[in-house]
Amino acid sequence: MTVTTPSRGKSAADGRSRPPRRHHPFLRALPYLVPAFALYGYFLVYPMLDAIRISFFKWSGFRTEEPVFVGFDNYTRMFTEDPVFWRSFTNSVLWVVLSLLLPMMIALLLALGLNRKMIGRNLLRSVFYLPAVFASITVAAMWRWLYNPTLGLFNQVLEAVGLESWAQTWLGDPKFAFYSVFVASVWQAVGFSMVLLLAGLQNVPQELVEAARIDGASAWQVFRNVTIPALRPTFIVVVILTMINSLKVFDLIVGMTGGGPAQSTQVLALWSYTQSFTNHSFGQGGAVATVLLIVSLVLVIPYMAWTMKGEEK
Amino acid sequence: MLRSKRTWAIAGMAAGAGLLAACSSGGSSESPSDGGGDDGLSGEVSVWMVTQEDSQAAAWEAIVAGFNAIEPDVTIVTETRQIDPHKDALRQAAGTSAGPDVYWYWEGSGLGGELVNVGLSKDLTEYYDQYGWEDRFTSASLAGVTQYGGFHGVPWTQQGEAIFYNKALFTEAGITELPTTYAGLVDAAEQLKAAGITPIEFGGTVNWHAMRLLDALVETKCGVETADALNTGDGDWGTEPCVTEAFTELKTWGDEYINDGFMAMSNDDSSQLFYSGDAAMAFEGTWFESNAYDGGMDPENVGIFTFPTETGRLYGFGEAFYINAGSDNSDAAAAFLDFVSSSEGQGLAGNAWAALSVNKDVDRSDASPLAPSWIEVFNDATGIYTNNDQNFSTAVTTEYWRIQNSVLLGDIDPADAGSEFQSFRESNQ
Repeated sequence: MTVTTPSRGKSAADGRSRPPRRHHPFLRALPYLVPAFALYGYFLVYPMLDAIRISFFKWSGFRTEEPVFVGFDNYTRMFTEDPVFWRSFTNSVLWVVLSLLLPMMIALLLALGLNRKMIGRNLLRSVFYLPAVFASITVAAMWRWLYNPTLGLFNQVLEAVGLESWAQTWLGDPKFAFYSVFVASVWQAVGFSMVLLLAGLQNVPQELVEAARIDGASAWQVFRNVTIPALRPTFIVVVILTMINSLKVFDLIVGMTGGGPAQSTQVLALWSYTQSFTNHSFGQGGAVATVLLIVSLVLVIPYMAWTMKGEEK
Repeated sequence: MLRSKRTWAIAGMAAGAGLLAACSSGGSSESPSDGGGDDGLSGEVSVWMVTQEDSQAAAWEAIVAGFNAIEPDVTIVTETRQIDPHKDALRQAAGTSAGPDVYWYWEGSGLGGELVNVGLSKDLTEYYDQYGWEDRFTSASLAGVTQYGGFHGVPWTQQGEAIFYNKALFTEAGITELPTTYAGLVDAAEQLKAAGITPIEFGGTVNWHAMRLLDALVETKCGVETADALNTGDGDWGTEPCVTEAFTELKTWGDEYINDGFMAMSNDDSSQLFYSGDAAMAFEGTWFESNAYDGGMDPENVGIFTFPTETGRLYGFGEAFYINAGSDNSDAAAAFLDFVSSSEGQGLAGNAWAALSVNKDVDRSDASPLAPSWIEVFNDATGIYTNNDQNFSTAVTTEYWRIQNSVLLGDIDPADAGSEFQSFRESNQ
C-alpha cells in the first residue's frame, strides 16, 4: 500500500491547492455580529453617552433652542437644591433592596413547593407565572382599582369584615403609597423568578440529594448544603435581573401614582423622565440618568465580578 | 338607543351647519370663507385636542361636517388625548415634523406661551388681516392671543371657573343663601359637613385639580396686587404672611371638607361624587356644565357661584386653536379656524365647551340652563386671575404641586411652604 503525501512546499509554490487559512474566530463571527453591534451602539450606547453629555448642558429639549454648556451645575443643583432627587434616590435603592428580599424569597418558596409532584402542579405554575405576562401598565391599572379608596377590593373587604378602621387611601398617603406600589410589583415579578428557580431546581443532581439523605442529612441540611449551592448559577441570573429591573422600574409607578402623592413614590428613572420631558430640563434629567447609570454599575458589576470569581474557584 | 339619538343629533347639527353655510354665502365679515370649495383649498388638516365629552364630541363632528359642506376637499383629521398626554405630545413634537397642522391649547405664559417661545405656533397676522378676525372676537379673548406679540392662536373659549353646587344638598344642609364671602363659604362647608355631606370634591392625582383651591386661596388671602406679584411677577412667596394663611386654609380644607381619599383619586373619579350627589360642590369651569348633565345630573339641581375671594376677580383662562409654524397646509387650517370661530361654527359649538362665545356676535344667553348665570358672573367680574400652571414654567409648576400636596398631606408645615417654594423659584431662575 502506497501512501502519497502531497508536498506542502510545492503546493504552496504553485498555488493550486493552498490549504484553507484559519481565521481568528472573532473575524469569522464579525459579519454576524456587525448588525447587532450597530443596533446596540445606535440604540443603547449612543443614547447613554448622549444622556451623559446632555447632563453638562442646560437645554429645554426643544430643537429650536441651543444647549448651553454649564459644566457640573446640573449635578450641583441636583445634589443640593433638587427637592425630589434624594427622595427618588432613596426610593430606588429601597426598591432594589426590597426586591432582592421579598419577591426572591417568595419565588424560591413557590419554586420549591411546585417542584414536588402534586395534583394541579402545572396549573399552579401557570397561575403564579401569569402576572409576569401582563404589561406593567395593565398591572398598574388593575391594582389602582384594587386600591381605590371607595370602590377598591381591599377597603371593601376590610369594611365587610368589620375592619373599616384599617381602610386606607393606599395610593394617596405617602406612608403607604410606596409600599402599595411595591406589593403590585411583587405580584408581577414573583412568577418570572419562580420559573427561573424552577428550572434551576431541575438541575440539582438527584444523586447528591440521595447521597446526602443516606448520610443522614436532614431536609434543611440537604437544602442548605446541596440545593442552594446547586442553585448558585440560577441565583446569579435572578439577582442580576432583579437588580436591573428594580433600578429601571418606571411604568408601574407612572400607572399607579405618577410618582405622587407629593413625589413620595418618585424613583430615579421616573424623575429623570419627568425632569426631561415634563419640566423640560434635559440637563437635569441627564444628570439624574447618569446617577442611575452609575448606581446600576456600582451594584451590578461588583456582584457579577464576585460571582464569576466564585465560578472560577 | 342612545347611540341612535346621538347619530340623529349629529346629523341634525350637520344638516343645520349646511343650511347655515348656505345662508352665509353672502360673505360678511362674520361669515366663514365663502370660497365654496373653489378656492383651491384641499388636503388634510390634522387637529390635536384633548379628549372630548360626549356632547363635545358630537358638537365637534357637527363643526367639521359644517366646514366640509363649504370645503369638501379639505379633510379634517382629529386626534385626541387626555390633558397631560396632550401637553406632553405637543412639547415633544415642537420643532419636529411630527406635529399637527392645528393644535388646541391653553393661553398664558406658562402653557401657550411656552410653545410660542419655542416656535411651534405660527404668527397668524396675515390670516387676521385676510379674514378680518380682529373685528370678530371680544376684547378679552383677543388679549389672550396677542399677549406674546403678533397673533398667536385663534380664540376658542374664554373660560371662567366657579363653584358648582348641588341645590338639593345645600337645601338639605340648611344653606339658604349662597356664600358671598370666604367666611361664608367656610360656614357653608361646615354646615354641609354637619349634615353628613361631603362639602367639596377634588381629585388629587392630577395635581392641577386641587391647585384651583390653592390659587383661589392665594387670591383670597393676598388680594389682587400681591397675588399678581406672586403669580406673575417678582413677589416673594417666602415673606408674604398671606401665603402662609393661604396654605393654612388649604390644609384645613384638605383635612375637613374635601372628599376622603382625594389624593388617590383622579378628577374624573372625584367628579363622579358630584354627579351622584355624594359631594355638594365642585370647583370647575364653564365646560363642566355639559359634563354634569352627561354625568346624569338634573339641570334644575345645579347652580354656580364664584369662589368668594372678595377681590371681585373671576378665576379663569383662555383657550385657543394655534396653527403649527411647520404646517404645510396652513391656508386650509386657517380656513377651518375661520369656520370654527364664525357665528356658524360657534353656533354649532353651542355651550359644549363654554358658556360664553369668544365671537362677540354670538349670544348664548339661552344656550344652556346655566348660561344666564355665567353671563352674570362674567359681567360682575372686575378682572381675571389665571390658573397658576398657566402662569408658571413647567418646572416651577411641578414644585408648586409638590408643595401643595405636601401641605395637604401634612408633610410640609403651611408656615414653611411659601419659603420652600420661593427658594426653588430662585434656584430655578
